[in-house]
Amino acid sequence: MDKFVVNIIHRPEMVPEYAEKVTGHGKAEDIGRKALLTESLDIFKTQQRLAHENGLKTTIQMTYASLFNEEAVALAKEHHEKYGDEIALSLLGLPCKEFREKYNTKDFCIWMFSMEDKKSIVDDVFGKFHDMFGFYPESTGSYYLDADLTNYIKEKYPSVKCAVATCWEEGPKAYHTCNNSWYTLFDGGPWNPWIPSKQNTHAPAANEQEDSGIVAIPHLSRDLLACYDGNGSNFGTHPQNVLRGMIYDSETWEYPYLYNLIDQYRDLEKYNNGYSYNMMFVGPGWMNKMGRWEAPYELLEKSYSDGCAYYGKLKKEGKLIDMTMAEFADYYREKKSYTEPECALWRDILYGSDKQLFWYCDPYMRACVNMDQGGAIVDLRPYAAKLEWPVGIGTKHVQDASYPFLIQEKYRAGYFTHYAGEGTVRSAKLSYNGEEVDLCLCRTKAHFSQEGNARILTLDPVEIEFYDLTVKLQTKIYFEEGSSNIKIERNILEMSNPEAEVQLNEYMVACYGTTEYPEDMTGIILKCEGAGEQEISYEYKCREAELAGADAVSAVIPAIETKVSMTGSDKAAVGYVKEGYAFSPMFTLGYTKTISDKEVFATWLNLEKAN
Amino acid sequence: MAQSGKGKLNYRCPSCFMRDLDIDMFYDKDKDEFYCMRCQYTGNEKDVLEKNEMIRFRYRAMDKRITKFDFD
Repeated sequence: MDKFVVNIIHRPEMVPEYAEKVTGHGKAEDIGRKALLTESLDIFKTQQRLAHENGLKTTIQMTYASLFNEEAVALAKEHHEKYGDEIALSLLGLPCKEFREKYNTKDFCIWMFSMEDKKSIVDDVFGKFHDMFGFYPESTGSYYLDADLTNYIKEKYPSVKCAVATCWEEGPKAYHTCNNSWYTLFDGGPWNPWIPSKQNTHAPAANEQEDSGIVAIPHLSRDLLACYDGNGSNFGTHPQNVLRGMIYDSETWEYPYLYNLIDQYRDLEKYNNGYSYNMMFVGPGWMNKMGRWEAPYELLEKSYSDGCAYYGKLKKEGKLIDMTMAEFADYYREKKSYTEPECALWRDILYGSDKQLFWYCDPYMRACVNMDQGGAIVDLRPYAAKLEWPVGIGTKHVQDASYPFLIQEKYRAGYFTHYAGEGTVRSAKLSYNGEEVDLCLCRTKAHFSQEGNARILTLDPVEIEFYDLTVKLQTKIYFEEGSSNIKIERNILEMSNPEAEVQLNEYMVACYGTTEYPEDMTGIILKCEGAGEQEISYEYKCREAELAGADAVSAVIPAIETKVSMTGSDKAAVGYVKEGYAFSPMFTLGYTKTISDKEVFATWLNLEKAN
Repeated sequence: MAQSGKGKLNYRCPSCFMRDLDIDMFYDKDKDEFYCMRCQYTGNEKDVLEKNEMIRFRYRAMDKRITKFDFD
């Protein structure tokens, strides 16, 4: 099955985000003013026209505000009849006169309300939708849907089978870009569609018991390299986001990057059994007549028109299938099993660096391998814990919906730190005669293969040069479906002195958190497991322990109900754990082993729920 | 001196953009310059547009159409 599926979604948002604040500058706030409502509907009509002109069907996500507008309702019905568009319901676009009067709040993000209000709003919005259309929707969504909310919607409105449920790596970076005033904090989720678990939206369900009953799609298909470091809202299949990033020629108004991004997503079918996916969802605020920042309306409109035209061209060439969200949910359920991972070997398509990352996501983890750092794991989310993490008013996390990390190279330093301490990363070091080299400094490239249930990354060999010894080493990384572990194999292909012995140190520096700032590490339990077990309860005392032939070295992190461990393939290895200190609030797990020419040593990084 | 407003187009501060911050600038018509409330950047429209071109230095592959995405 070789398919590139596209969901195109439009919402008639009668009071677009941005429009009131940005275009209305110099006017007192009035979200009911007629000019705003008329312009909003015109934008929706333009978007629909551009999709239909290019032979593409859409999912019309009615907003609460639009349900009070007869013209918007009539348009949705007409386009459903004429073009096969799905009439769905968005939980975005709540703000309008009616909502403000009823709920007495300016909050507009559904996941941030109290659970009581979430239920009340959902019932209100779904009820109004039913009044207008005579049925309940099959698709819904927001920028983020928390698990409790999804579970409520599914229980009360079982017709819902698809939802926009997160926006990839929209978190502290987006907050920062918006002058610390845009509170969409939900890093750590999948970048492509998945079946959310009942416990945590970001963590895919491992089985039927965990299945929330919906297929989730991300808000946009985002650049898996650019978004991880920079402002995510510049690098997605949202043509105006590309303009926001100024990734276009200001003379010719051309933006090959948008097409490169779409094409790289198409290319991901190689890693996912012939399936690839794209989602385009542009809110009307991005196409308002006043322009958006330095982009005039004509450029905004051109970019959306070009985006639709490119998808339309691919469809005409038989390279794309456009689906509504509900159609996609059915397709996805048929195509994917719970444990089948989502894989993406991703190349820099913007900065000219040739840098390469590999992203892996399954019900037990999300991981990123960075080939520019010798295949180090630079991001790790332990989905195995299926962490229950309620969000919204009245919970411990009013805004922060991110799935916690164990490793995050941008927020917690990664390989490079200033002067002291360590950053989070899973890598290895080789030592010889007092010299030490970290594989993070060995830039390489990877090749993907699949053997049975294992997805394998084979890295090009690297050479480590010591003063009087050169070691040629190859890394292979195995992700076995359903195993909840990552196997890393180091293969010594060649040594300039075949008699030499080198010390290999396989290590993982980790912590936990959702933001750049450190969390309290107190109470994390570090262990060298096996006969003669050793244990350290974290107190920032910089202690270390080791055990020859350790069965495992592990850390239990109660705050995120996670146990992470490393195990080795050879009992000759020495396991060790290291506690950090206040200036380096990390822990380290590792194995050291003496290795020689042609030797292979493997370690596993294992993730479990601990509660 | 009258209050500042926004110009014809709503320019962002190029200096802040370089550090991944989208900050709207305001326009001082007496001085014919845009200024940033967060940092110390000021400049007329010509200067803003020039700096916006400079911003693109990091997008070295921006004009390139790419058709191969692996290293196989």
